[in-house]
Amino acid sequence: MNRKIIAQRMRKNPFFIVGTITCTVIIVCLFVIPYFIPFDAQANSLTEMFGKPDWFSKGFEGHIFGTDQMGRDILARLLLGGKISLAIAFVVVFIQVVVGTVLGLIAGYFGGIVDSIIMRTCDVVLSIPNLVLALAIMAVLGTSVVNLVAVLSFSGWVQFCKLTRNNVKVASNMEYVHASQALGSGSARVMFRQIFPNVTTHIIILASQRIGWVILLESSLSFLSLGIPAPTPSWGNMIANGREYLTLYPWIALVPGVALMFVVLGFNFLGDGLRDVLDPKRTS
Amino acid sequence: MGNYILRRIGQTLIVLVCVSLVAFFLIRLAPGSPAVLLLGDGATDEQIAAKEAELGLDKPLYVQYFRYIAGVFRGDLGMSTQYRMPVSDLIANRLPNTLRLAFFTVLLGLALCIPLGIVAGSHRGTAIDFFAMFFALLGQSMATIWIAVLNVYVFSVVLGWLPAVGTGTWAHYVLPVVTLGYPLAAETTRIGRSGMIDTLNEDFITATHAKGIRPSVVHWKYAFKNAVCPVITLVGMRLGAFLAGAIVVESIYSWPGIGQLLKTSVGNRDYQLVQSLLLLSAFLFALVNLLVDIINSLIDPRIVLE
Amino acid sequence: MEQLLEIKDLRVQFKTERATSNALNGVTLSIGKGESLGLVGETGAGKTTTALSILRLLPDAARILDGSITFDGQNVFDMTGAGNDLSSRQYKKLLEKQGISETEMRKIRGNKIAMIFQNPLTALNPVFTVGEQIAMVLRVHRGMGKREAMEYAGKLLEQVGIASYRVKDYPGQFSGGMRQRVGIAAGIACNPELLIADEPTTALDVTIQAQILELMKQLQTQHKTSLLMITHNLGIISELCQKVAVMYGGQIIEYGTVDAVFRDPLHPYTRGLLGALPNLEGDRERLVAIPGKIADPQNLPNGCYFNPRCEHKCAVCESKQPEMIKISDDHFVACFQAKGGV
Repeated sequence: MNRKIIAQRMRKNPFFIVGTITCTVIIVCLFVIPYFIPFDAQANSLTEMFGKPDWFSKGFEGHIFGTDQMGRDILARLLLGGKISLAIAFVVVFIQVVVGTVLGLIAGYFGGIVDSIIMRTCDVVLSIPNLVLALAIMAVLGTSVVNLVAVLSFSGWVQFCKLTRNNVKVASNMEYVHASQALGSGSARVMFRQIFPNVTTHIIILASQRIGWVILLESSLSFLSLGIPAPTPSWGNMIANGREYLTLYPWIALVPGVALMFVVLGFNFLGDGLRDVLDPKRTS
Repeated sequence: MGNYILRRIGQTLIVLVCVSLVAFFLIRLAPGSPAVLLLGDGATDEQIAAKEAELGLDKPLYVQYFRYIAGVFRGDLGMSTQYRMPVSDLIANRLPNTLRLAFFTVLLGLALCIPLGIVAGSHRGTAIDFFAMFFALLGQSMATIWIAVLNVYVFSVVLGWLPAVGTGTWAHYVLPVVTLGYPLAAETTRIGRSGMIDTLNEDFITATHAKGIRPSVVHWKYAFKNAVCPVITLVGMRLGAFLAGAIVVESIYSWPGIGQLLKTSVGNRDYQLVQSLLLLSAFLFALVNLLVDIINSLIDPRIVLE
Repeated sequence: MEQLLEIKDLRVQFKTERATSNALNGVTLSIGKGESLGLVGETGAGKTTTALSILRLLPDAARILDGSITFDGQNVFDMTGAGNDLSSRQYKKLLEKQGISETEMRKIRGNKIAMIFQNPLTALNPVFTVGEQIAMVLRVHRGMGKREAMEYAGKLLEQVGIASYRVKDYPGQFSGGMRQRVGIAAGIACNPELLIADEPTTALDVTIQAQILELMKQLQTQHKTSLLMITHNLGIISELCQKVAVMYGGQIIEYGTVDAVFRDPLHPYTRGLLGALPNLEGDRERLVAIPGKIADPQNLPNGCYFNPRCEHKCAVCESKQPEMIKISDDHFVACFQAKGGV
């Protein structure tokens, strides 16, 4: 597609702009602010338990968002947890894209029994709710970051597979593909040179919308203490932890909650904006 | 029509068989023998061997699988190691609570989608459209855990209007239903809106206008029916996956349903229960989807024809 | 002849996020009672826009800049001198003021003016039975009850050659040609005074096309309906119409009786159109294609819109727009070269 038109649409699309700004600001904060605050995310301090947020009254020296029941600085934990969550989300989406796309290409291109097997596998994975499946697998495998990445990837590749497969099905009936085959191109060549480029736009859109989704799923698992194992912070386990002190020390849960909302909102805006920019035919 | 439904039932059965296999073998991957979990740590080797024989765990895996499946058809889902009672009884006790929650959640999702999504779609660019989009985007970006915690904080802790945990009165339903229903309503609003926009761009809508039909009738009678199909499909999918949200919400609000049961069974390594709940959740998913397909095929005849 | 529909100097513009497109640039047309007029032109010449203007059903992106339409003595709208410097709210207000009320307009649509759409596959709502879609016209304009309307819809289906029991079937159960018959049945349901057929056969197979045309011809003579036949197929015009208007770049460039225009086409474009048609009788002549691309409504040339493609152009064609000149009582053309022959 024409780059100029895409750039023009990007400038005009409020979702894309807001999403890009939000995501950039959040990522920059996650990596820059730790250099300014003097606290360690894991360091307990029994003298500073349940500290109220100082906001900016003491600058970076104070506990800007307060401390939790172990006296740990919430901002420090928030930043570390955010970095972990985002890193996991990017890795997971990448794995989903690779696995889903490859299987989808295979299913769509070869058709027949291969297609049936892959599509029925998709149906099976889809027929167990994501969180339920993830919960069961995590329970069996035990909690660790590697297992978490595996489980999250496993529950989300299906959409990429179906998307790719359906696009390939449509594309392989197009005349230019027949023409390419008639000219003697091998099947792998046809697949990657002719069909794959048609699918990429849709994959980029789905992948960008998927990041928020993975963050939400990961936070739910961590909330249920089946995600990132404590004491490593994650926004999910911070909310779970803070829930117990909601009456007296609400900031412990509310701060990571608000952060979670903004991050997901940012990525959802970005995803929707990207879809409008790349695929203006769709309306929602 | 009949053919179509039969074919769908066939597909559903295949999926269910696969899920039962996945659930069965997944659980067998777990470390530790169920016999040990049932007997406790102090059991002797002889006791464990005896218990394993009693449970049929000394038989080959495929025999165990067929025994399990045969049990499922008799309504025998095995014993819960954690509650020390039949899994089927546990499910029978808990399921109605979750279903009640699901019913009101879907009701909320549909009740909000129609005024918001459909109206927004037919009044693009107006204030209500912006409100609906904002409502939808926010709803899709709020984690269930966050909505739940926020609800408890605002309505129970700060305002003191609603009970934070437990069951009993109607007031107990409000927070769990809102927590589960808001993300659903956000999605239905969005899908309803885009369905309406897509439909209103169709030639047949111009053709209907050209017949001299009132715009309100064109929108609410003729376009509505086209736009509502994807909403029903979505609600079906989310209802099928209801257990996912229920796990979080039921544990937060101490709601004695299937979700809470699954959470505790996972925590206590009650594998027999986990296995049955996986199967149950797939069964519910398949059942709801089958129903949705039937409803949709009644609304939109193209589905059967394709 | 008494005039049924009169369009005067109609100008319509489409505005999208990227471009402004001048779809109609001064269309003047009239159709007499019982008369059938063919509107010919390539894709993008503004034919469908003309049709939708008559029904006052232009999409939101469209703006009527100038011109008026009267139908059967009723003022559909008179936007003379409206221009394009109004805000969209002002425009909507003006449009509501400058013609009969929307309620009156609805009484015309489907009742006095009916339209048959180009693509029968998309013009019927897939989730309603064909009976319901025909019946809705009858219920709204004839005040029929549900059952009565469905029964009458069955009769209409029979008139267009479909068994009446099929009222309960969905559009998906019909072929393209059958669906177009359904569209025609809905069109003639209220016995309209004007039937607008927007390329009713373009999307159909050739053999089916002939059947549909035969049906339309038969219905038109039977009911004495006026017909506005929009097409790019000149064969259809000579078959079905008494008069023809040739459109190019959102303007009528030649107008007259089919006889006069086809025997002696004066505009180079019309001649090109006729020359691009294979002739089965007489000597085999070489087919002549019109060189160049159709005028782009987003970027119209100066002067006569046809000048970049015209073999006979001279200096004036590039600077001035030709006026419609009268050749005879039944032949008009807008071309500087036309008078006295080229």
